[in-house]
Amino acid sequence: MKKTMFWSEKRRAYLLLVFPAVLIYWAVMAFPTIFSFVLSLTDYNGGPIFVRQAFSFVGFTNYLRMFQDKFFWISLKNNVFIMGISVFGQIPLGFLFAYVLHRKLVKFGDFVQTIVYLPSVISTIVIGRLWQLFFSPYGPLVTFMQKFKPGWYFSLANDPQLAIIPVLFVILWMYTGTYLIIFLANLQKIDPALIEAARIDGATEWQVLTKVILPALSGVIVTASILAISGSLKSFDLIYALTAGNPARRTSVLALYMYDYAFKHSPKYGLANAIAVVMVLLSLVLIGVVKITEGKFGGKE
Amino acid sequence: MFKRSILFLLSLLLVAGVFVPVISAQENVTITVLNYMDLTAPGTERTLKEVWYAFDEQHPNITVLREDLYLDAFHNKVEAYAAADKLPDVVYMWPGGRSTTLHTKGLVKDLRPLLGDEAQYYHEYATVDQAGGFLALIPSTRTSSHAMFVNVALLDELGLEVPETYEELAAMAPVLQAKGLDTVLMGAQDDWVLQSCLFSMLAGRFVGDEKFDEIKAGQAKFTDPEFMAALEFYAQLYADGVLSPKIMNTGYGEVKSLFAAGHAPFLIDGDWAAGNFVTDESTGEALISPEDQKQIKMMVFPAIPGELHANSSSGTLGVGYGMSANIPDGSAKEAAAWELIKWLSGPVVQGISLETTGTLPSRNDVGFADVEPILEERIFNFYNLIEADTYILDDFFEADVFMPINIGLQEIGLGLATPAEVAEATQEAFDIWFAGQ
Repeated sequence: MKKTMFWSEKRRAYLLLVFPAVLIYWAVMAFPTIFSFVLSLTDYNGGPIFVRQAFSFVGFTNYLRMFQDKFFWISLKNNVFIMGISVFGQIPLGFLFAYVLHRKLVKFGDFVQTIVYLPSVISTIVIGRLWQLFFSPYGPLVTFMQKFKPGWYFSLANDPQLAIIPVLFVILWMYTGTYLIIFLANLQKIDPALIEAARIDGATEWQVLTKVILPALSGVIVTASILAISGSLKSFDLIYALTAGNPARRTSVLALYMYDYAFKHSPKYGLANAIAVVMVLLSLVLIGVVKITEGKFGGKE
Repeated sequence: MFKRSILFLLSLLLVAGVFVPVISAQENVTITVLNYMDLTAPGTERTLKEVWYAFDEQHPNITVLREDLYLDAFHNKVEAYAAADKLPDVVYMWPGGRSTTLHTKGLVKDLRPLLGDEAQYYHEYATVDQAGGFLALIPSTRTSSHAMFVNVALLDELGLEVPETYEELAAMAPVLQAKGLDTVLMGAQDDWVLQSCLFSMLAGRFVGDEKFDEIKAGQAKFTDPEFMAALEFYAQLYADGVLSPKIMNTGYGEVKSLFAAGHAPFLIDGDWAAGNFVTDESTGEALISPEDQKQIKMMVFPAIPGELHANSSSGTLGVGYGMSANIPDGSAKEAAAWELIKWLSGPVVQGISLETTGTLPSRNDVGFADVEPILEERIFNFYNLIEADTYILDDFFEADVFMPINIGLQEIGLGLATPAEVAEATQEAFDIWFAGQ
């Protein structure tokens, strides 16, 4: 009787409908993640993988090696900086631009919107190369500055403590437009009558912003934060094209650090996968933090 | 009747046995190729036409499916193919270094049985066993990872002469600085460049191959005085103003045009960089016109006080094409792949390479027509200046060992580490690697 109920038509229909999605999820998400963890416990260093003796298990040696490597911590620190500029730079700036445009506080709004959004639609590699040439010791920035101060050169890019700043600037420049569009679209969803009513009641522009608009956008801000955090952890292509993680790996990030071991020279897939596993864990922790924040401060729309 | 039938069948089998290989050789075969090619380099159009399309025309029964990649994109794809055990039939590869996986995992065939008597047409160095202990590829040339390009016209303009000693080179630095110029340009943003194009040569001068053999065998150390002397001299280059930390923000792809534009009278790169200055036949443009190329000299780093090996340069075997070990022996596909490899390492293609990039052929039967002045300089002068080839560190050591050197060289240049710290870090990395062997 139980068996008949378990295989009821309704349940079979559910299973049938869910199966393709589960299969795809397993194939492209779950299996690679689990397999990555398994590889992180091995000494696999290239060649056919599904053959006998392709690798042997080495326990947590790769994790130990990673945590003892100063370049892991430099990369992690740079990821934190990127996360900071994304959450506390791109999002507020994107919101500010969106607010100014939405409230028509500047002229030529469409032009401003296009200019701010434009970097988001250009290939990341192209942007990386352009800025690399711009910051080059022989690039336009140095050439221009040398007109005023002969012998000047862009020493910031060679300062190990500060070399990440030009990278952060480019990241801010490139992605702010994305948040501008997100906020602008959501600002347009707010009923203008609400703002109008607040103004009639004597609310100042600041009060309209803090008492009406920001609460209405709290959910969007959380979503934008999740996007910013996950995007920050994935940072790779722009930095690869801009600095290749140098000078002396001081602008490297976790994804680039992983890439160095996975693909550069003779591969160390075990170590590279250990780095990948740490990145996944970091993502989960940070998404958890954002979810908790959302639970605490969100839902006031 | 039964006997007749048996005889008939046996005859048929005999005839088939004789003719099948011929038929096989004529049957249509498709082979996949993973090729390394900078599609923006001058001479690419000619290479495409006269190497690849010409092969297609001469071999209508062989279809070549070619994938052209360059730099890291190429290396990543090789490793991905290797991991999936789906290596293309013919693959561009190095005799060691970045093709280590292909050699040591036995993913490519030993070409020696296929080469046979053809070996007589190659210089001896081209047919020695490589990293995997067998002939995985036929190197098309020998290459020097260090070359110093000199803009003689610029030096003349400033009243300076081509330096013969390091002291003379260092003495130029303040003069050039006063004129707003750098002394030596390098595109060292990528960390391999300092090690491969400069430090390997310095290590050869101060340390020498024998000592590196001892280090690799665990009988000597990176912290020994010879290696320390090489690192200390390298640090001295910055102190003397010969090198500037700016080189670590200069892209490898950018530096040739900076040299051509006269930002410094010297460029340190690999000998292959000569090919970047010649005229691109498809556009008729050159970074340095053939007339101006006459003012470019190629030399090795000047004599250094305390060096053990004068006029040496870091060098290695050139690249070539390997054949996937997955291709069955004696198959039509093997015959087709070998036909292509033979062509790619043959006299016609090596001649084209000589004319477009100035690479010295590994064959002894290659003729060539006109070449531009900078390639003449490379072929007739530069190679004669090199008294000894020494190891390129990233070719000789595993990545675990040379990576601390690559990064350490940048750190020394930025003042982040001392030569002693870099030597210790390298020795530490070596000890870990050595223990794992």
